[in-house]
Amino acid sequence: MKQISVGALLFVLVLGALFVYVAEDIPDFGDPNSAPNRYTPLFTLDATGSVDVLNQGNVPEALIEALTDRGFRDYELPTSVKGLTEGEWDAYLVPEETYYNIPTAKFGTAPDAPKEQKYFYLKQEGDKLEVYRYAPIIRYVEEGEHETEVPNMVTYILADYRGYDTLGETTVIFTAGISVILLLRRRGKQPT
Amino acid sequence: MTDNKKWIYGRDVVNETIGRLMIPFIQLFALYVIIHGAGGPGGGFQGGVILASSFVLYLIIFGLAAAGKRFPERANNYLMSTGVYLYAGVGLLCVVVTLGAVQFLNYGYLPLTHMFEENRALGMDLVEIGIGITVCAVITEIFFNLVWKQEDETESGKEGGE
Repeated sequence: MKQISVGALLFVLVLGALFVYVAEDIPDFGDPNSAPNRYTPLFTLDATGSVDVLNQGNVPEALIEALTDRGFRDYELPTSVKGLTEGEWDAYLVPEETYYNIPTAKFGTAPDAPKEQKYFYLKQEGDKLEVYRYAPIIRYVEEGEHETEVPNMVTYILADYRGYDTLGETTVIFTAGISVILLLRRRGKQPT
Repeated sequence: MTDNKKWIYGRDVVNETIGRLMIPFIQLFALYVIIHGAGGPGGGFQGGVILASSFVLYLIIFGLAAAGKRFPERANNYLMSTGVYLYAGVGLLCVVVTLGAVQFLNYGYLPLTHMFEENRALGMDLVEIGIGITVCAVITEIFFNLVWKQEDETESGKEGGE
């Protein structure tokens, strides 16, 4: 009996230590600007020569080469760069989704020019250039309200950007109703 | 089941009065939550459950026969699938009106207004209404069927005992 309680105490202590160890890496709850919520680090580059090109608003060749080597496809390569502050840049590209931007005189005015999105985040650290990838949620948070004219972020993500998911959820609820009918409804004798 | 059969839990004047007073407001609030899902907190799932809770309250107070008259099972069968059809239909309409040029559920191309963003907002509203209909019908269906089962078992148990 004593052995069991000692074992349980050890188990709880180990779990607590594990939790503390893991909780170190959890970002502050609800902070959209903490690094894991905003962007993830990809790799570092040699900054010599690249920084001047970046400051002129062009994409350095070294960055394109590094991205291609790591398996990024043609439409995932940045096409323009915008400076944020000293030593920080956003790299923009036109994502694949714009192919449905057809002219719609009949069906409403769609955004006629392909829309640029910020995709990579570059930061100078000494003589190294760190390359980050923005999280997809950044686009929803920053662009969603004037893309959909809906102020409620939960609704526009749930019903518009993640429409298939919500259709599936509704189907799950519908299936639950069908199974209740199959299991519980009386046969022959219709109530009311 | 006949109309004058007594509800197994009896009737109470307080419950009936409060129920008559509150149920319209609950339903109005549910419709508000569904319609206002785009502008504030709310949405189809929450509003549907609130709307269903008003029917559940009606059943608890007035009994199965009266509730079945107000919310007939035949209508419930149709409503359950109507919501899903409305959702999928809005999605399919986007494909149909642009002759297959845009994706399923791309609300911006619905032929509702002449603004891309406004179309998306209105498409979202339609979808939320669909979700609300389905959720309301399913929750009501589950509760009604459970009560029918319960009544059935108490009836047959009494007959067996006598």
